[in-house]
Amino acid sequence: MIIENVIGALDALFTFQTMSLMAIGVFAGLMAGAIPGFTITMAVVLTLPFTFGMSSIQGVAVMVCVLVGGLSGGLMSGILTGIPGTPSSVATTFDGFPMARNGRPGLALGIGVWSSFCGGTISAILLMTLAPQLAKIGLEFHPWDYFALVMFALTITASLSGANLVKGLIAGMIGLLVQTIGEDEIIGVARFNFGNEALLQGFDFLPVLIGLFAFSQLLSDVKDPKSAVESLADSVKTIAVIEHKQALIEIFKRWTIVIRSSLVGVFTGILPGAGGSVANILAYDQAKKSSKYPEKFGTGIPDGIIAPEASNNAVEGGALMTLMALGIPGDVTAAVMLGALLIHDVVPSPSFISDEPILAYSIFMAFFIGNFMMLAFQSVTLRMFILVTRVRKYVLASVILALCGIGVFSLHNIEFDLWALFWFGMLGFLMRQFGFPLAPMILGVVLGNIAEINLARAMAINSDLSIFLTRPWSLLFLLIAFFSITFPYFRHKRGKTKWALFFLPAVLFSISVPLMMMGGIPRPTIAVCLILIGLWLLYKRGKAGWDPAQLAVMKQEISEGN
Amino acid sequence: MNSVNRDSIIAILLLVMCGTFFVASFDIRVPNYGTLPPTAWPRAILTFLSILSAIYLVQSIKNPPESTKTTGGLKGLISEFKNPIWCFALYLAFLITLPVLGMLIGGILFVFCMLTVLSGAGRSKYLLHSVIAVLSVGLMWSLFTYALNVMLPEGMLISFS
Repeated sequence: MIIENVIGALDALFTFQTMSLMAIGVFAGLMAGAIPGFTITMAVVLTLPFTFGMSSIQGVAVMVCVLVGGLSGGLMSGILTGIPGTPSSVATTFDGFPMARNGRPGLALGIGVWSSFCGGTISAILLMTLAPQLAKIGLEFHPWDYFALVMFALTITASLSGANLVKGLIAGMIGLLVQTIGEDEIIGVARFNFGNEALLQGFDFLPVLIGLFAFSQLLSDVKDPKSAVESLADSVKTIAVIEHKQALIEIFKRWTIVIRSSLVGVFTGILPGAGGSVANILAYDQAKKSSKYPEKFGTGIPDGIIAPEASNNAVEGGALMTLMALGIPGDVTAAVMLGALLIHDVVPSPSFISDEPILAYSIFMAFFIGNFMMLAFQSVTLRMFILVTRVRKYVLASVILALCGIGVFSLHNIEFDLWALFWFGMLGFLMRQFGFPLAPMILGVVLGNIAEINLARAMAINSDLSIFLTRPWSLLFLLIAFFSITFPYFRHKRGKTKWALFFLPAVLFSISVPLMMMGGIPRPTIAVCLILIGLWLLYKRGKAGWDPAQLAVMKQEISEGN
Repeated sequence: MNSVNRDSIIAILLLVMCGTFFVASFDIRVPNYGTLPPTAWPRAILTFLSILSAIYLVQSIKNPPESTKTTGGLKGLISEFKNPIWCFALYLAFLITLPVLGMLIGGILFVFCMLTVLSGAGRSKYLLHSVIAVLSVGLMWSLFTYALNVMLPEGMLISFS
């Protein structure tokens, strides 16, 4: 069945026009990702208007290719200048830039490129095999479960997005509130339009997204008058040729790091709100902790490049998995992909893969093929990157702002969208200045309608609110949402207070309850395993005399012994 | 202890916004059919947002943020945010003049002004900025109009139809 769908998808994709457009998409993504300040999200968003005239398969394939290119593009800037091109490449600079400075920029770039390729390919294969399975799980969801899933996505995004959880939750709530402006989705009455006809249509989420992210990002980049007139060329001292052969040798020697980091990336991508910016740091941290020579990390070793680059390319496979299988975007870039799909009259849902297999597998195959194109284009784009680095930041910002305006207008041909871009650009800029994360707000805007519609459906079927706690999936998502809100307090008090000793066992015991309720064999088995792990943790803590400080000392001794 | 700081002001503004929207929710027409009234979801959001804003207010008073480096009061603030303020002002001017100038001329003027203001350069760069503005906006406009068949606003000065 998968093979038939793959063949059908390849048949749809392998036309000269489609492959050319995909190649242009990868190239554009690589250039966009390479320029610090020009995020992958911005690149994907600005590509969207160009896809209107294309078929659904072509349009979405191009955007996926821009995404693939963008994920890898950040390494060029990170390795050659020490400035990550995108937040997904922050950890790459830890060892990539030192390796370049030590006289091996070609090797650093080669390791980065091939690690990206490996991570993306592993992720694409997992996407093709696991997404249909996840979609089958999604078919079990009822309106209560979907509502709880949205709440889980918002809370976990808020808890992962910054130091201050309250600010993250406020941003998420503002996003939900913004989506209530205009006509109510269910009955069609006007809400919060304050007598203004234009506000009756509400805010389309793409102008909101472009305003919040792109507009505010560009303004933040040119805020400092001195840096606004600089170009990256001042920092690019080295012109390099990618050493492919040597890079492959280094990567094959460290194949366990590639696989582990790719899996970290995929599972981070599945988690709503945690994108490449989290995955690359997590993978780097994991690689360092499990290394025989952790003290060498940061000095320019291959391991420190392989881990973040494999994971950041693998992330989007996970995010697309959640999007395609459940219709819930795994990160902001997936939220843009959702917008693209909706514009092309495609509605992701658990039945999407089975109802539209050719389109679904075209998206998977575009992600897969895009990785090969990325590999081929990296050498070419490196030379282009050197040219682009000569352009001053203020020139890029001005031109891109104009493109944002034209692109946003072309979505629905209404001036109101330009005004929305302006207002949310201001709001996004102020939020950045005051330390409010943008990702929860974007997800709130994207998921607000889904939450309200499912809540309304749930209430229409049965107005008893206790069903949210008696349905296993709903209970599971609400429990994870609750623990994700309390997790920052636990992390702060860990090793200092007694209640923190019981936090993790409480999480494990609580989550085992809905898993037991689901019935069957696999899920209750997982529940039993979780209970056993929880009991083992309690036993360990009891052995340490329930003393938080003593437990911290024991952990220190164990890690030093290792 | 400095009880009123930037975060406190933001929290208070959020509470005022919640109050405004809550009052506005009473203007929402509630039909006598359907289980979930159209006011329920917004009011639930506003309730949570108010609670979070109150928590934020308390946090800001208990743990005030570090004082910002901006000195010189309003003048200092304007000086620090000069470039973003200019960007917003120019974009606002672009939007207001869009019905008259259209996307092409308005866009070219917008990019030209942005380049000139952000670069801080004098007349020496006018020619270069003009070329960049005309080429970049012209190319984008042509691409959208002729390749993608998007009807961009023409304005009142010139017509391409």
